[in-house]
Amino acid sequence: MQQLLNGIFIGSIYALFAIGFTLVFGILDRLNLAHPAVFAASAFVGIELVERGGLSLWAALPLVFVVGAVLGLLIERLAFRPLKGRADAHFAGLISSIALAGMLIALLQWRYGPDTRRFPPGSFPDTRFEVFGAQVTLVQVVILAVSLALMVALTYMVTRTRLGRGMRAVAENPTAARVLGVNVDRVTAVTFAISSSLGAVAGVLFAINVNTAQLGMGAAIELKGLAVIIVGGMGSLPGALIGGLLLGLAEVFAVQYIGSSWIDVIAFGLLFVILLLRPQGLLGARKVREV
Amino acid sequence: MLGQYATTLTFIALGAIFAYSFYAVLIAGQLSLGQAGFASLAAFSGAYLAPSGADVGDVPALLIAVAIGMSVGALAAVVLGLPTMHLRGVFLAIATLGFAEAVRVVLLNQEWTGGAQGLGVPRVLTVGMAWLALGLVAYWFWRMGRSRYGRALEAIREDELAARAMGIDVGRHRLAAFVTAGAVAGLYGVLYAYYVRLIAPDDFDFTAAVEGLVTAVVGGSTMFLGPVLGSGFLTAVPEIQRAVGVEAGWIRPFLAGLLLLVVILFLPGGLASLIRRRTRMPADAAAEAAGERAGRSHPPAGDTVVALAGLGKEYGGVHAVRGVDLEIRAGEVVGLIGPNGAGKTTLVNMISGLVPPSSGSATVLGAEIGRTPVHRIAAAGVSRTFQHSKLFNRLSALENVLVGAHLVSRPTFLRRLLWLPSARRDESAALRQAARCLERVGLAELAASRAEALSYGDQRRLEIARALASDPSLLILDEPAAGMNHVEARRLSELITSLAQDGLTILFIEHNVGMVLRTCTRVVVLNFGEVIASGAPAEIASDPAVVEAYLGSADEDPAGGSIAEGTLDDPTSAERADATPDAPPDPVVDVRPGAAGDLAPPDSTPRDAT
Repeated sequence: MQQLLNGIFIGSIYALFAIGFTLVFGILDRLNLAHPAVFAASAFVGIELVERGGLSLWAALPLVFVVGAVLGLLIERLAFRPLKGRADAHFAGLISSIALAGMLIALLQWRYGPDTRRFPPGSFPDTRFEVFGAQVTLVQVVILAVSLALMVALTYMVTRTRLGRGMRAVAENPTAARVLGVNVDRVTAVTFAISSSLGAVAGVLFAINVNTAQLGMGAAIELKGLAVIIVGGMGSLPGALIGGLLLGLAEVFAVQYIGSSWIDVIAFGLLFVILLLRPQGLLGARKVREV
Repeated sequence: MLGQYATTLTFIALGAIFAYSFYAVLIAGQLSLGQAGFASLAAFSGAYLAPSGADVGDVPALLIAVAIGMSVGALAAVVLGLPTMHLRGVFLAIATLGFAEAVRVVLLNQEWTGGAQGLGVPRVLTVGMAWLALGLVAYWFWRMGRSRYGRALEAIREDELAARAMGIDVGRHRLAAFVTAGAVAGLYGVLYAYYVRLIAPDDFDFTAAVEGLVTAVVGGSTMFLGPVLGSGFLTAVPEIQRAVGVEAGWIRPFLAGLLLLVVILFLPGGLASLIRRRTRMPADAAAEAAGERAGRSHPPAGDTVVALAGLGKEYGGVHAVRGVDLEIRAGEVVGLIGPNGAGKTTLVNMISGLVPPSSGSATVLGAEIGRTPVHRIAAAGVSRTFQHSKLFNRLSALENVLVGAHLVSRPTFLRRLLWLPSARRDESAALRQAARCLERVGLAELAASRAEALSYGDQRRLEIARALASDPSLLILDEPAAGMNHVEARRLSELITSLAQDGLTILFIEHNVGMVLRTCTRVVVLNFGEVIASGAPAEIASDPAVVEAYLGSADEDPAGGSIAEGTLDDPTSAERADATPDAPPDPVVDVRPGAAGDLAPPDSTPRDAT
């Protein structure tokens, strides 16, 4: 039971991270490899806000969300918008976002140094609950609640609001969307902002969960995020949620029963099987192309 | 002097070799990140299995290790490639990345690899050997560039579907590119192992794969020198920074990222795009033209070329084509007309093998439709153009046509590696053939222009030249005159007539009814997926069913135009608006060719994802 809950907590962070990833891919057909750098950056920013700003953990979260959004706008403006209309925009977008990620990590190194950082002692409330005989901390509950709330809000926004309609129109056909009066550039920028702010919150939640932030934490979760969005279905938001939870659970149980050194084989074995049997992922729709 | 830079130079060579393993697949439009896994497998098995330098000498030991490593890399690529070659873009990248990660974790947990401690390997590689190996790899890709095989890979990168229609076996070519990547990655892995003295599975992780990809892309993935330039650039940047005294730990990666961003944003083709790509034209295309036509025997006039029996295609309950029986005989020029949405394009897509029929049967030049892959149907002698131009955009006009000649030219890559004169002869024969086709459509002077830079009308004509290059028995043209003015359309009509005189069978869809009636020996009219009339042009022009299909009802038509006079042509038919074909309230408006959107036939392949 304890393992099950731990799996769900870590899985919800994976899901939140992956949803940001898959949002950009699903709507804009671009893979933003600077996403993991935002994840890492926000963890450091979160720690700084608590440490120097003297904010409580909960007050820092919305601020990190905003920081993530700003980073998302920057990424879109610097790494993706200049590539618009280029035949190799897919490759080039991968590379330019990798370049930007490298710069971002370098800036983090400048500001915070290469060492692992932690939240100041006493940042976490000590409240604990007992659920079905398992120990759960208030922090873990908040992680789960924040992740779920953001995912619900995102789903509502995409399916019910005017902006979400614009996003779906752009996903379907950017040219037609433009003709019909959707401001494609704005929708694109907003999509990046939302995606990055989700990644940022995931980063700070991850840092809270394990109480560390490292420069390499983005690279570590990047592969997992890619696995999650493939398993769930590229561009599918509920797919990313399910994929994230699955991965969290699989990892926790793998550590317990097989040994920690084999975790990644499980994740990628799962990924591989899915790609071979159901390339569109668990919940992805098979898109067709025209002759 | 050299000694001071030996390490840097060796790493430039190693980085470039690794980048070539990415170049090998990027040139075919595949994004793979599995090369780190191939290199890792090769490095460990090579270093572990090769005899020790004490027994056979250092250099022979290295050579044996290289042979083992390259075989292991290539074999791993086959094993990984067979199940994943149907994946595209990001999906392929992530699947191969998953493979590389799995390899890493498995090797970490093996005893013989030394796990995380790593495996000690003697340092044998010198800077000279590294550059020799790089030279050989670069030579391979240089000679590949202008071979038939190299062009086929580029065609696949630019437009996979069109490449198929030109008779290129896409699956086999993609796998071949992938295996090449595996072998080159294996070479890198072994050389790396014999240079750094200690290898660990973590040397071949995701970061390493990304570095290789970045090197290849920065250098340029469309020109064989790209990987060398990329590696030189990326290895030199930190060295230069050190030389000018930039020491702070964060500045170096920051500047490296910034430079990378600048290169990718402002040099779309990578560093190699600074080198101009030449297009060679055969010096005297016309002079040697006589007597060397690429040999393909066409069916004699009157033989059945296409036989359709009850052919139908259904998309989720919508019958795009229903029960079409049609026979086309050699030497005929058949015009296929009908309102938009009548199913014309679907019909020719089925005939050319792009879309499998849902009912009925069809034989085209002896190939059975539905079970035969597109490239086999092309090999049987079917060549086509597309309604929306599907050219190989970043290739020159001449190269486009050369790809079209894929089926009638001979493979030249291996002979080019050895500089055999017969390869040169075959290449120049193909060049002349291509130049002739360009000349025939009147594009000879634009041979060196990139296809995407041509005007719309020229693109249509280039497509025809490309289709002609394979010396087809059956030529299918899908709206060839769209976007052409009257003069151009008339010239096209003359071209079609002269092709028919050469013995080609031609099937073409066209909205310019006047042109169809002028050019064809027979006209087939399709409406709502069914053949409503078929016969000589004169009969068709006066057929009441046809007039009704086009005008709604003949009685209500006061406009006085007649399709026989061609007065209903609309030269602006390239511009389409959407309308439903089954609601024609205004006959004059509805007459516009292209009034309704065409029923674009979806196929079941997953979308290109990156």
